[in-house]
Amino acid sequence: MKRAAFYACLGLALASQVHAADPGVSDTEIKIGDVSIMTGPAAFVGRGFAIGSKVAMEEINAAGGINGRKIVVVTEDDGYIPSRSFQALTKLLEVDKIFALNGTSGTANVLAMMPLITEHKLPTLVSQAPAPLVYQPVRPTVFTFGATYDNAFYAQLKYIHEKVAKPDAVYGLIRQDDDFGKDVELGFERAVKAFKLNAPLRIRFKKGTSNFAAEVAQLRKAGVSVLANGAIFAGAANILAEARKLDMPLTAAQVWSEGIPASAALLAPAGYDFLVGDYVSLVGPANDRFRELAKRFVPEGELKNISRYTYVSYIGMKALAHAMQQCGRELTRACTVEKLRQIKGLETGGLSAPVDFGNEQQLSGTAVAVYQYDAKAATFKALTGFEQY
Amino acid sequence: MRTGHMKLSPGQLIALSDSRVVWGWALAGGVALLLLPFAVSNYGLTLVVSAFVAVMGAVALNMLTGQTGLISLGQSGFLAVGAYANAILLSDYGLPVWLTLPAAGLATALVSLVVGVPSLRLKGLYLAITTLAFSFIINHAILYAEPLTHGPNGIFVKGATLFGLDLQRGMPLYYLALGLTLVTILAALNMTRTRIGRAWIAIRDHDIAARAMGIDLVRFKLLAFAVSSFFVGLAGALLSLQLRFINVDVFGLILSIEALAMIILGGLGSIAGAVLGAVFLSLLPEALRLFFGLVSDPNSTFYTNYVFEIRGIAYGVVIVAFLRFKPDGLIGMWRDIRKYWSNWPLAY
Amino acid sequence: MEFFLLLVSSGLVAGATYGLIAIGFALIYKSTGVVNFAQGELVMLTAYIGFSLSNSFGLSFLPLLLLTIPVSMAVGLLLERIFIRPMLGEPVFAIVMVTVGLAVILRGLTIIIWGSQPANFDAGIPVTVVRLGSVPFYPAQLILIAALAVVVLAAWLFLRFTRYGMAMRAVAINETAALLAGISVSRIHALAWVLSSGIAAVAGVLFAANFKLAPDLWFQGLKSFPAVILGGMDSIVGAALGGIVIGLIESLAQGYIGEGMREIAGFVVIVLVLMVRPYGLFGSRNIERV
Repeated sequence: MKRAAFYACLGLALASQVHAADPGVSDTEIKIGDVSIMTGPAAFVGRGFAIGSKVAMEEINAAGGINGRKIVVVTEDDGYIPSRSFQALTKLLEVDKIFALNGTSGTANVLAMMPLITEHKLPTLVSQAPAPLVYQPVRPTVFTFGATYDNAFYAQLKYIHEKVAKPDAVYGLIRQDDDFGKDVELGFERAVKAFKLNAPLRIRFKKGTSNFAAEVAQLRKAGVSVLANGAIFAGAANILAEARKLDMPLTAAQVWSEGIPASAALLAPAGYDFLVGDYVSLVGPANDRFRELAKRFVPEGELKNISRYTYVSYIGMKALAHAMQQCGRELTRACTVEKLRQIKGLETGGLSAPVDFGNEQQLSGTAVAVYQYDAKAATFKALTGFEQY
Repeated sequence: MRTGHMKLSPGQLIALSDSRVVWGWALAGGVALLLLPFAVSNYGLTLVVSAFVAVMGAVALNMLTGQTGLISLGQSGFLAVGAYANAILLSDYGLPVWLTLPAAGLATALVSLVVGVPSLRLKGLYLAITTLAFSFIINHAILYAEPLTHGPNGIFVKGATLFGLDLQRGMPLYYLALGLTLVTILAALNMTRTRIGRAWIAIRDHDIAARAMGIDLVRFKLLAFAVSSFFVGLAGALLSLQLRFINVDVFGLILSIEALAMIILGGLGSIAGAVLGAVFLSLLPEALRLFFGLVSDPNSTFYTNYVFEIRGIAYGVVIVAFLRFKPDGLIGMWRDIRKYWSNWPLAY
Repeated sequence: MEFFLLLVSSGLVAGATYGLIAIGFALIYKSTGVVNFAQGELVMLTAYIGFSLSNSFGLSFLPLLLLTIPVSMAVGLLLERIFIRPMLGEPVFAIVMVTVGLAVILRGLTIIIWGSQPANFDAGIPVTVVRLGSVPFYPAQLILIAALAVVVLAAWLFLRFTRYGMAMRAVAINETAALLAGISVSRIHALAWVLSSGIAAVAGVLFAANFKLAPDLWFQGLKSFPAVILGGMDSIVGAALGGIVIGLIESLAQGYIGEGMREIAGFVVIVLVLMVRPYGLFGSRNIERV
């Protein structure tokens, strides 16, 4: 009798083991995690990002979910601090039991989470910080969507060199003294080498700097007329404001965060028609369509937070959903990773170049388009389509 | 409960504790801590390890600030030195972890001697600001010394294995953290009972008088810096093991302020207080999370949108409220309660 | 030469900010013996108050400043009442730590109230470039430098000639003696906070007008420590000079050395200065025990 009971128990245990899918999947739900920058100075990134996940989630759920399961997004804040990202993902994995991860905060933050991601074989889409440090070396379950800052700056400098700048133009770089800044410098050097540019000056500055007067004086002394501006938000705006004060005729290439309406508004008073390179679309019919879609799911008051980070998370979530859809009812992390790897030519409705993860680096969306800001009309216009650089 | 003390020999005066009850409780606590990993989830364990790091940092800072009276706002810098030393020796030089941990402590102690030199001339806020300056400078040095520290790229901390156990996750990490924390606390307790500890307290209470009594200020101030920083470095090394990836962003200024808040909250100068304060403050965010989960409606985004700010405000309120209403800190509260029970029904 | 002049001009602008903030530190330190670690946060808070006032009333610069200063003073008084006054008689270290707590609280509150996004805030100052000789300035930058001069002069006149100013100096020299002479020390402490908040408002509004309004403005408080130390903690003129010197050093260090030197140059300087003169360049020799 006892023995029978034991075997019954064992059998039950085994059966439930077979039946239990990976964490985060129940009969009705799939939990997707999102570690985002919801607080601190970079909070607008997370706010924009959250809308993209929400729109994608609602859109998918309204259409019946993923093989009958609804998507649930669990967001954890990390305030852009790597040690907190680690804590946040630990919580998502241990307490919320997420199935996959769509939001990954900044580069250092993804790297801080990387040990956990590989340990749990967590299907992960990195679309916010597509830096080489993330996909080199490639981690089997990590998929990266987006171009590097390197690509974005190369693209802009190429356009400037070919279409805008005079032959005797002097190129200068100003960049942050962290991994992000290094990536910007990479693109700058690549352009300098490829087009044999006259580039006498590269300046590093400390993160959080607000007064750039000395740097801009250095730029002016070197006679810089094309500036690769690797500062962001108030910093980028202060650099352009100083340049205007010194009456410098500048063509300025910017980081894609300056494509966000709020930061473009900060740069506007300087009056420069600056450039931005980005791997998602900033203006066009695709963006108008997305806005219409968002109106159905997002409260009116939050529409103003829509930014490039919204499109990025929307695309990431759609790619994840596509892969999970392919797996059918027997949804596992391994299957999702396998199907992600097979994604080829997944359309994003024109928000970016189509998604393709079938390469060694599991990297897609590296095509960059260059946009120009019209300071008077406060709008962007596309200068090029999405191209590989 | 015991109410009075009667010491008959010098040995009794310097004993860790002559109370059987205290030893009993300490033993029970130790057993409970040993068994803890079997009772809580992995996430809970992560939180506890973070609390251990905080306890080490707070106990170490207490030696410097609470006992010697040298205010330091540079804890985050020392923590960074320890973490980086451990990470570099472990990942880049492939040294075994039993060597890198003490080495990280020693490296931090060495750096602290440089910071300690101005302390020979400066007191109070001038010293606080100098240590603050040093933490900025250390941060800058780490960022720009790329060949050694990998600069902005940060370091993956890997390869910490001992007897085939991976010391960077789960139970092995927990027991390592527990061990290091106990060592730190014991060292602090023992230090207090020796000539060194008494010299520190004398310096805190009046440095000129201390000097007149024959205490070598140079030696003991520097010693306070070195010993305190050794343990902060150890805490940093432990932190780097837990996080498995570190870069300069991990070591923000807020850590220095948190460390000060911990020892104030616990009761300045008391080792038990430092432990209590550290545990309390490092678990405060979780408590806040639970609290907001209970009181606010689930659809409200207020907490998720402002979690960092709310946490900050909570730290601030705790500091202000304790200084105002309970300057002796948690340990003072504990003493009051004890006194209340032993004197009852006579108030005080 | 032009490069040098540009660096000097930008150093003056940065230094004027440090100077204004350092005077705020010095006023409170002088009369209460407390280093107010929340000074940077006061600057941030008052800048945001100015921003809100400007948004709701659409004032031009002078009226805006004349409105922001009293409002900020009231806020300063309120903060002193709630946080500092109850600590009267406690050890200085405890009060200093209360200001640290206050700083963290103000930082959180500001972001909860105004959000974390940077904003344009011109404070009603025109943005046409003005040239002094060959060196260009924004009007807001010139106003910043002028404000430092005005504040130093006003503070000097106040401390030298007015009844309250003299009472303040008396408290600074010896609190107990001042108390015996019939001066209400607690009122002087409140006054120090009020004045310091008013100066913070000038610094905050002008800094934001020059460098955008963002929640990391509080960091300017920490960056002003070198100026405070150099000026010797308790001297108004010293604080202003310290600010200018640090601003110039930072600007020149960045211009001629680079490598992010500006952000730490000030701190390197004070470490060196304190090694030689532990009481700053202009400070009085006796150092308070904390």
